[in-house]
Amino acid sequence: MPTRRQFLATLGASVATASLARVLPAQQAMQGMNTGTANVPMDEARYRPVRLPSRGTGPSMSNTQRDALEHQIHCQCGCNLDVFTCRTTDFSCQVSPPMHHDVMALVEGGYSGQEIIGAFVNVYGERVLMEPEKRGFNLAGWFMPFVALGGGTALVIALLRRWRHAPPATEPEPVATLPVHATSDELERLDHLVRRDDA
Amino acid sequence: MILIGELSLWVALLMAAWGTTAGFAGAYTHRTELIASARRALFAMCAFVVLASIGLWTALLTSDFSFRFVASYTSANLPSVYKFTAFWAGQEGSLLFWALILSIYATIAVYTGRKSNRELMPWVVPTLSAIALFFILVLCFGANPYARLDWIPPDGRGLNPQLQNPGMAAHPPNLYLGYIATAIPFAFAVAALITRRLDAEWLSSVRRWVLLSWFFNTVGIVLGMWWAYVELGWGGYWAWDPVENASFLPWLINTAFLHSIMVQEKRGMLRKWNVTLVVSAFLLSILGTFITRSGVISSVHAFSQSSVGYWFLGFLVIAIAVTAYLVTTRLSDLRSRAELESMVSREATFLFNNLLLCGIAFSILWGTLFPILSEAVRGTKITVGPPFFNQVNIPLGLGLLALTGIGPLIAWRRASVRNLRRQFTGPVVCGVLVGVALLAFGMRAYYSVMAYALGGFVLGTIAQEFQKGASARHRMYGEPYPVALFRLVARNRRRYGGYIVHVGVVVLFAAFAGLAFKKEFDVTLRAGQTFSAVDGFGDHWTFVSQGVSDYDELNRHTTAVLLEARRNGKFVGMIKSEKRQYLDSQGNPTFEPATEVGILDKPHEDVYTVLAGVIGEDTAEMRITFNPLVWWVWYGGMIMALGGLIVMWPQAERRRAQAGYMAPLAPGLVDAGTEAVG
Repeated sequence: MPTRRQFLATLGASVATASLARVLPAQQAMQGMNTGTANVPMDEARYRPVRLPSRGTGPSMSNTQRDALEHQIHCQCGCNLDVFTCRTTDFSCQVSPPMHHDVMALVEGGYSGQEIIGAFVNVYGERVLMEPEKRGFNLAGWFMPFVALGGGTALVIALLRRWRHAPPATEPEPVATLPVHATSDELERLDHLVRRDDA
Repeated sequence: MILIGELSLWVALLMAAWGTTAGFAGAYTHRTELIASARRALFAMCAFVVLASIGLWTALLTSDFSFRFVASYTSANLPSVYKFTAFWAGQEGSLLFWALILSIYATIAVYTGRKSNRELMPWVVPTLSAIALFFILVLCFGANPYARLDWIPPDGRGLNPQLQNPGMAAHPPNLYLGYIATAIPFAFAVAALITRRLDAEWLSSVRRWVLLSWFFNTVGIVLGMWWAYVELGWGGYWAWDPVENASFLPWLINTAFLHSIMVQEKRGMLRKWNVTLVVSAFLLSILGTFITRSGVISSVHAFSQSSVGYWFLGFLVIAIAVTAYLVTTRLSDLRSRAELESMVSREATFLFNNLLLCGIAFSILWGTLFPILSEAVRGTKITVGPPFFNQVNIPLGLGLLALTGIGPLIAWRRASVRNLRRQFTGPVVCGVLVGVALLAFGMRAYYSVMAYALGGFVLGTIAQEFQKGASARHRMYGEPYPVALFRLVARNRRRYGGYIVHVGVVVLFAAFAGLAFKKEFDVTLRAGQTFSAVDGFGDHWTFVSQGVSDYDELNRHTTAVLLEARRNGKFVGMIKSEKRQYLDSQGNPTFEPATEVGILDKPHEDVYTVLAGVIGEDTAEMRITFNPLVWWVWYGGMIMALGGLIVMWPQAERRRAQAGYMAPLAPGLVDAGTEAVG
């Protein structure tokens, strides 16, 4: 009969395995690095047009601002880079140049950065963003590290307080038996230094 | 030789299986003949894995294309050095490389520890054999490098051009040497947990291995950054790619351990924590290998997706279950008599140091795995890219940098106000001066200002420590200062080697902070045309295109653009960037064209050019980037590695003088005798 701890451990391992097993089959179509391309399922490694009718108000931003905007959009060739970096790095990429042209057309059409980002999300989904949006379940992604760190800090402070108030030992206990590579003179001198440091 | 190698792999499998079975049985029943047999089996396994590796190297160097691995990763016209390094370019070869290093490490650990760790060794041997058995099983049944093709092609596919780089020849072996070294401390931890001998003895056995792992991981990561910078062409050296993250996680945990072990050595505290760190470093190495090889997470660095991922997932689950069981059932043995004299003490500082290091590791692991979690929970794919990791980790990194300076200034046990004032005044003045000077000069990137100010503070701390130590030697022995400084380091390698590592950390942070002043330009230039720009330092640059040229060399066709670079009107050099189309021995193109960036490197700034495309015959599309302080990344890494070497270097003279002398020490005495990385 397993104990509650053993049962929970087994359950946890099973859930983790099941979650990963759900993701693994989706990767079957991945290509290898050694073909010179990145690992992205083929159905996603393609360009999809992002078009909106022009507002006829002229460009909504400068070229520098447009480049900054492209830094927020994830190239879909599977390179893990943003559109600006990929198109200016890899002349064999078939995806970042048309994505760049879509950004340019939307800028020329008078759309703001936020609207352009929204248009790309509508077409590609959230994965087109270089960072997850700060809403819904994504908030867990953004704040969990800080929650964990806060919890860790509280734990460390609680531990330090507990150790601080721990009753003093009745007799000094050697913590370890360690090899000491020193002569007796050196040991005496070290002892003297420690006492002086502690004073 | 190739056939011997092929057969050796199977014999190594048998040896590993026997070493595991006989070893565990012998350790459990205390039968010495089984324990000895398991040890010999481990040595034999190592010999056969070496033979298997020599066999594969022979096949690669002789271009035996009947083997799928050789045909997949080499071609007849590939330079010999890259035929040799192709060993770890693919899934199968790199797994054999894992097994090779693991079996060599295991042999060294078992041979050198046969006398000093009599209680633990009977369990260490089968644990290491079991890990090796797993890898050899994967090799034999999941990814066999000796798998043959049904036909012999006239030539191989060649090696990915991005891997034909000196950085890539050296980066993976170093990373593997670091990754795999975590298996030895893990085996000692398992042995200590099983035998319930959880005193300081097992820790002293593993510390050097953790240092070795840390050293190679550091070198491997920095070499990987250098390779990414000069080869991939995106203009940076760290992209928070899942595979990069995976290599960073064991490094962070090892760093935490190297600090927390001092608290156990000096105060007998943190026993549970240290066991957890040792075990976590190994498990994270396996997790990293799983991420790299399963294809579960998209990465440019990953190997092609294969069933090997399931093997690693299974191994990871078993390893987590076994270690979780061992740790939870030994909690009472791990209980230490913790007693803290003051909240303001070095041990308290080290706890916060560990908290931040583990916090950074958690945030990186969380960000890396969050896309999987999101897909599992919401069914929606998301990207967690550099903006996430930078926003989360920059504040944590700055906190860690501050602790790097604070830790050495606070005494063990208790720090008095007078002591704190005396210790902190100099370093704080250094930090404030740097910060104020930068603000006065107009720097307004506040994270960068904080990084440089904290860097000044840490350097002030280190300089003060060296100055005090050298002055003491000068006073006591009358040594000239340079001699005193040298002997200070030589006699206290753990402590002062650690400070040198901290100098490297400061240099790296300074380089990272420089990225805030990066500038990049998208340029189209015809032959003879000029482009002008101002860099982050306010210098005026002019680039004149010398035109585009095409030519053949070695195993490739090259298209190159040459720029004449002038800074403030003065000629500083020519920069050539290339696109290379690699060809096989028949002259057929292999792989996509590869980038060869042009870099004009100076200590304060790199000018980094990438040929993105060619229009017509003489018009080049390029990206020109001014990357400040990149040079410092490589030298910061070298300084860290040098510090690590100093810490690792054995204290030969004292060992000879005091061989065999053992003494039980009170905490204070251990404190002064074995001062360590602060």
